Amino acid sequence: MTPTSLSQAQQVALVLLRTLIGWHFLYEGLYKLAWPAWSRGGVPLDRWTSAGYLRAAGGPLADVFHALAEPPWVQGVDFAVSIGLVLVGLSLLLGLFSQAGAIGALLLLGLFYVSAIPTSGVSQPMAEGAYLYVNKNLVEAAAVAVVLTFRTGRIAGLDLLIRGRRRPEPREEALAS
Amino acid sequence: MNMTPEQQESGRRNFLKAVAGVPALAAVGGAAALRGPVRGGPVKLGFVGLGGQGRVLLGQTDPHYAEVRALCDVNPGRLAKADAVLSKDGKPAARHYADWQEMLQKEDLEGVVVATPLWTHADIVVGCLEAGKHVLCEKMMAWDVDGCQRMLQAAARAGRVLEIGYQRYYNPVYQAAHEGIVKTGTLGDVYHARLVWHRNGNWRRSEEPPSPDYDPSRWGYPTFDHLLNWRLYHRYSRGLLAELASHQVSIVSWFFGHEPEAVLASGGLYRFVENREVADHVYVTFEYPNGRTATFSSIESNAFDHYYEMYMGTKGTLILKGETEAYLFEEGDRKATGVDVTAKASGPVLDASESRIVDAAGQLASGTTTRTDRLASYRMEVSGFCAAIRVDRPLRCGAERALRSARGCLAAHEAMETKSRVVLT
Repeated sequence: MTPTSLSQAQQVALVLLRTLIGWHFLYEGLYKLAWPAWSRGGVPLDRWTSAGYLRAAGGPLADVFHALAEPPWVQGVDFAVSIGLVLVGLSLLLGLFSQAGAIGALLLLGLFYVSAIPTSGVSQPMAEGAYLYVNKNLVEAAAVAVVLTFRTGRIAGLDLLIRGRRRPEPREEALAS
Repeated sequence: MNMTPEQQESGRRNFLKAVAGVPALAAVGGAAALRGPVRGGPVKLGFVGLGGQGRVLLGQTDPHYAEVRALCDVNPGRLAKADAVLSKDGKPAARHYADWQEMLQKEDLEGVVVATPLWTHADIVVGCLEAGKHVLCEKMMAWDVDGCQRMLQAAARAGRVLEIGYQRYYNPVYQAAHEGIVKTGTLGDVYHARLVWHRNGNWRRSEEPPSPDYDPSRWGYPTFDHLLNWRLYHRYSRGLLAELASHQVSIVSWFFGHEPEAVLASGGLYRFVENREVADHVYVTFEYPNGRTATFSSIESNAFDHYYEMYMGTKGTLILKGETEAYLFEEGDRKATGVDVTAKASGPVLDASESRIVDAAGQLASGTTTRTDRLASYRMEVSGFCAAIRVDRPLRCGAERALRSARGCLAAHEAMETKSRVVLT
């Protein structure tokens, strides 16, 4: 399928989906990198760390996550996750290296999902909603899969500029004329 | 004023019912909260003046909000005590200075907490502001109105935060009373407020000089006693009116929504006449617009009433006692309003209060029935000062309000000295 076979509304919807996912990733990453920081209401924010999340991880990779929750690994994990979120976010927001960004987003979401697969079916303390197998991470991953497979970088985004530079040769239509 | 346990219980219940659902500290910057965080770590603070009040503020400095870099006091003994406050809480040590100007030159500070004798406030605070520091200055604002105005102008010129240490504005009980009772008109028309701060003692501190050859004259005090007991001498102090009345009068002006128009006062030095200049008994009448009057008495010969503020309205009575307890009585409820003197021993009655704990966001945690920690107000005051520096969170008191309170108390001082009615313009 080529982008041109999509209606304009479909194209807009796909790019909007990619942009929103990009914003979500970018802000999550920037927020984690913002420390030391204060809330606008005047409260100092604790330094973000994935340690608590990793220690509470379950699922098939639980042992790996638990090991990563301890120093010196955890500092590296914190930094890598924050930077990863920012890069993926920028990629999807700007439509730059969109396919790589979407794959990165899938990897991150996959890790987040595997570390805490909702099996209880009831709401958990400190978390809104009740989930059974399907949670927002999984839904967002499915949305990223849509963005990935529809190659939204070909519809709109900075990827179009890069594509233009990579192909300075005359286009087929021009040669044919 | 004393109450039976039943009356206390009833008054507490009424108060809690009236303020239920009222945030202890009204939310500020609601729209701003939708935006992201602001970069910055704890505010780098220096402390000037580490007597009793300075050390209270030091001990209540939350390390998440502020990092104490430097301590300054002309008395080395006070610096040693301040060190103990820091180490007790496991906080890192801070560098020592005797001269606040040297501290400003050598330290990379963002804010300064000033808790020195009253007569030095204006010079130190203006100096700090002109050096680009934000300032939290203990009350009263300054020894005279001119000093207050110099401070206010210096803050405006420098574009720096200036807060004055009236901790009641940061007290969740007072905030709840203002939001849930005063603003809602629960008390009806309030024509009279009674302010009481009674103690039985000479207000004199005793302490050995830090060394036998310690010379306080370098700092403007002819003897160590003058340095230690500065509150008792006119040159440095405004006595009970500055140290006690200004707290309560400021709150009356807040609750009444007006400043006093005129002041009548009497009093004098009657009991502790040796080595003392300021009055030990003070009686003041503050006249507010629309026929409202607040009376203040502070005596140093009987502590039965201790200290409280009572607002007497046509529909109810609000009592705020000892900065920790609050009672509300409906007018006409004879059982509740029939406040009798009980057979309890004289002295402050320190019953546990049903006031509620405040969380970090300044919200009352509902359902808890524990005593409000009086020190929590100081903690929120210092934290509020830091938040004003970092994210422009509005100050609860502010220098303008503090100046008006000082003006009222200085007028009361003049009225007492001249035995006259002083009109405030």
